[in-house]
Amino acid sequence: MSTTETTASPHPQPTGYTSPLSRGRDGFRQLLHAEWTKLRTVRRWSLTLLGAVLATILASLLSAQGNQTSGGEDTIAVSADGTTVRDNFRFVHQSLTGDGSVTVRVAGIVPAPGRNADRPPILSPWTKAGLIAKASTVPGTGYAAIMLTPGHGVRFQHDFTGDTAGSSAGTAAPRWLRLTRTGALLTGYESTDGATWHKVGSAKPAGLSDTIEVGMFTTSPEAVTMNRSFSSTEVNGELGMATATFDHYTADGRVTGTLRPDDVRRAASSPNGPFPGMPSNTSTADNGTYTITAAGDIAPLEPDMDPVQQGLRGTMTGLIPLAALGVLFITAEFRRGMILTTFTASPRRGRVLAAKAVVLGAVTFVAGLLAALVSFGITRGILRGNGFKPPMFPEARWSDGSVLRALVGTGVLMALVTVCALAVGTLLRNTAAGIAVVVVVMVLPQILISGLPLGAARFLVQSTPMAGFSIQNTTHRVPQVDNVCLPEEGCYTYGPYAGLGVLAAYTAVLLALAVWQLRRRKV
Amino acid sequence: MPAPITERSSAHRPRAAVPRAPDHTHRGQHPLRLFPAAVHAEWTKLRTLSSTWWLLAAITAATVAAGAAATGALSSEHCPPPGSCDPDQVRTALTGLWIGQAIVAVLGVLMACNEYATGTIHTTLTAIPDRLRVLAAKAVLLAGITTATAVPAVGGSLLAARFILPTRGHKLAHPAISLTDGATARAAIGAVLYLVAIALLSLGLAFLLRDTAGAITTALGLLYVFPLLAGFVNSPTWQDNIRTFGPASAGQSITATHHLDALPIAPWPGLGVLALYAAAALTCGSIALCRRDA
Amino acid sequence: MDTTIEVSGLHKRFGQTPAVDGLSFTARPGHVTGFVGPNGAGKSTTMRMLVGLDLPDSGHAHIGGRPYRALRTPLYEVGALLDAGAIHPNRRGRDHLLWLAHSHGLSARRVDELLELVGLASAGRRRAGGYSLGMRQRLGIATALLGDPPVLLLDEPVNGLDPEGIRWIRGLLRSLAAEGRTVLISSHLMSELEDSADHLVVVGRGRLVAETGVAELLAAASGNRVAVRTEARVQAIAVLTGEGAAVAATGRDTLTVTDLPAERVIALLTTHTIPFSEVSAHRATLEEAYMELTRDSTEFHAAGDSALAHHPGED
Repeated sequence: MSTTETTASPHPQPTGYTSPLSRGRDGFRQLLHAEWTKLRTVRRWSLTLLGAVLATILASLLSAQGNQTSGGEDTIAVSADGTTVRDNFRFVHQSLTGDGSVTVRVAGIVPAPGRNADRPPILSPWTKAGLIAKASTVPGTGYAAIMLTPGHGVRFQHDFTGDTAGSSAGTAAPRWLRLTRTGALLTGYESTDGATWHKVGSAKPAGLSDTIEVGMFTTSPEAVTMNRSFSSTEVNGELGMATATFDHYTADGRVTGTLRPDDVRRAASSPNGPFPGMPSNTSTADNGTYTITAAGDIAPLEPDMDPVQQGLRGTMTGLIPLAALGVLFITAEFRRGMILTTFTASPRRGRVLAAKAVVLGAVTFVAGLLAALVSFGITRGILRGNGFKPPMFPEARWSDGSVLRALVGTGVLMALVTVCALAVGTLLRNTAAGIAVVVVVMVLPQILISGLPLGAARFLVQSTPMAGFSIQNTTHRVPQVDNVCLPEEGCYTYGPYAGLGVLAAYTAVLLALAVWQLRRRKV
Repeated sequence: MPAPITERSSAHRPRAAVPRAPDHTHRGQHPLRLFPAAVHAEWTKLRTLSSTWWLLAAITAATVAAGAAATGALSSEHCPPPGSCDPDQVRTALTGLWIGQAIVAVLGVLMACNEYATGTIHTTLTAIPDRLRVLAAKAVLLAGITTATAVPAVGGSLLAARFILPTRGHKLAHPAISLTDGATARAAIGAVLYLVAIALLSLGLAFLLRDTAGAITTALGLLYVFPLLAGFVNSPTWQDNIRTFGPASAGQSITATHHLDALPIAPWPGLGVLALYAAAALTCGSIALCRRDA
Repeated sequence: MDTTIEVSGLHKRFGQTPAVDGLSFTARPGHVTGFVGPNGAGKSTTMRMLVGLDLPDSGHAHIGGRPYRALRTPLYEVGALLDAGAIHPNRRGRDHLLWLAHSHGLSARRVDELLELVGLASAGRRRAGGYSLGMRQRLGIATALLGDPPVLLLDEPVNGLDPEGIRWIRGLLRSLAAEGRTVLISSHLMSELEDSADHLVVVGRGRLVAETGVAELLAAASGNRVAVRTEARVQAIAVLTGEGAAVAATGRDTLTVTDLPAERVIALLTTHTIPFSEVSAHRATLEEAYMELTRDSTEFHAAGDSALAHHPGED
């Protein structure tokens, strides 16, 4: 291309030497190619990548192997949309055909004395007492309910996941509640005096036929208490038996049958169910007062562990060799003076670092994805064998959106951390210090958080680069269930992408600093 | 660039080309004490690198700072039943060991790998051909400076905790941390020994692997992977096994002052596990150093 | 004390490649022994085995009849410069010497004396990372001389020195040998040794090619050749061959006469009144002698070299 210029020149004056080699464009692609050649021609670096993949898989395998569960409660039901749910409550009900409404006054909710007589009974904030309209008494069927809770005020809930807040907590019993059916639509109202009604919410529950069961219900989940001492965390689910008192029950519409009490729970439920020896009961007084005592919950069931996330736990181990790779990818050049060659070949230093980051990121993404796929594939079977199986732990499928997100996200996570290491290596120009810094920052919070108070632990998990691990979370948490969310067990109080965003922000800032410093300093 | 020996002056034989070494007495009746001389040489090597002083300062600063932060984060809000909250203040005060150990590992690794990276190891082994003596001199000196650094690091952490704890609620402040308490004194001495053992472990790995990146990655992996795995499994048997056989988690049982029966491994045996790791690494390192070509 | 360097039947292989393959030679006190051979001939490996860095697979490399590793205070007995670049870049030159001195109980004063000797008195206070190659060589020579040893092993000491430095080191080496020390210096350039070595050990591919004195080698390489420049070529050839010399015409007016001393050639030409403009004894350079030596002695070069040498049209 350029040779034609010289030969075509009409002037005989010396033009200097022009290489006949076709001149490559000084493009970013050439830089990428150069960095890729550097990476793949050092055998130790390929071995390090392989080591990272193997370390990830092996550690995932170990942590899957070392996790056991006795299986879930046998009171698990599955809702119409496939959500694993708990649907256990005491139901004093009658049948309603067609449109109609039921009204009641919740006079009070008190904790029932627990099994442990010397401890004061505890009332869960999510104890529910109110009116429910349900397709049948079979657990898992569609419903809509208006209820009073001690901790969260009046709520209108339907089909386990739907939750609308009414008047706020603190306005405790007594409270009037009404549930109205118009066609498929169920609407919940509340009132402080039984005269002025406010609508709380409405919904069309799934699978309601013309005749449905309506009535009063009480249920109460465990009151979770946590004792976080300094090397261990003790979580206690205190039995949440509660007694609710109802009066002024009225039903309008085509109501058939008298009110009869029933325990809604899975038919196969054994006598050693969730709360053995604590039968729920109902007593009726002559003045139309119903006292219903029960334990249970009507809510999605949140497993205390995410098997997909658990199967990817080795990622953090795999990050240790990757940190070394990222740091070395730049410090090796500094030490051997090769950076002179690199910068002579392409004087735009920022672009050189960018090319390194892209190549390293792409390669580690592939390695990370591979490690994640293999880990997930292997650990799935092991975890199932160790008791993490349906119905408590729904089968994780490759095609699930959240599983795919976790697997691809693991690749992204590993790539981001390696690029962070590259930036740290550029800033520190020292192999040992660079590796130590990256490993300590990425790994140490995970080790320390279990010994830290919850607030400090959450802060560490959310604000350090390890926030990126939230991408491996596949469980969907709903606010209307009180669950112990321990950061060391992989529970994050924010969504998966937010955490990855924190890591990405760290990476971007570090890379920018590295480029700035690379331009400023002499080689 | 003066060239003191010119063609002409060398033609005249009488003038010695090299000034006679003044203290040649070592050749004769006052034999050089070889091992102290080797340690002296190592000390000169170490103190003439500014990075050494940065590392030593970082060990103390990071350990104290992290310990103070962990103590400052203590609160009694999550222990509702009074009296059930019984944190191990000493262990919390020494949380900084988790960071300090990484810098100690860097120090230990660099002590050998610096020489391999620059080729100085050849000069060292030419001056001291007895390779075991080289390794022993480095180990003794490393143990010495690590102790000299760990004492202020551990002391500073405990002192910081003593001042911080009263601000975190009176439940946590009593009894005040004091070295007159047997368990506290054991934890403090043990913490110093813990860091020394980690330094020696890293030195052994460095001689075995010779490469900075490889040695530091292996050392950090040994220190951090076991506790990570222990956190990832829920089976208590697995947890205890991992914590018993991991060098860092076993070694750190020396810092426990409360609930000793709940530890997976007792304090001194735990430190012993770490010491075994260090001894194994040093043994492998010295075999590699003696058998391999430099 | 015996300070002879004695290498005998030395073998060392790295993987499948033999680096040193049955090498034997001796370097005696009072001589500068040059250790020459092309790159990769095994010089450095031999040096490393001499100071105990590498262990030989078989054979031995002894100094004063003992292996180096048996020395208690080696700096007093052997001074070695193996790789001048082997200094920590963040350490000052003086400190590098200082730790070596401390390993043998020497004082800082001794270090300053040597820095003065090699001309680094002021540069010694700077970090070694900023040193030029020549300054590193000088520092390396200082480390070798630190213990005032009777034996010196210097691997490529001239590398990177400026002309003044080269002159300095040649003088230094000669005076060191003159004091009765054993000096072994390696080089891949014969010309570097021309003015300093008096004994040569030539190696190629890990084997001994020649062990000889410099004077003998030069004499052998020069042969008894005399160059004659004359217009009367034909008469000169007749006269000289008549006296039993081998004569070759090397140019239009030049002849090379073998086996006849220059004086005799002049006498003959004068007697027969053959005009000549120049008669000179041919004196080979060490480089030529070396080329000659390696061409004759290293059979394994022949295949590759002859293919080039017998290029059509060259004969």
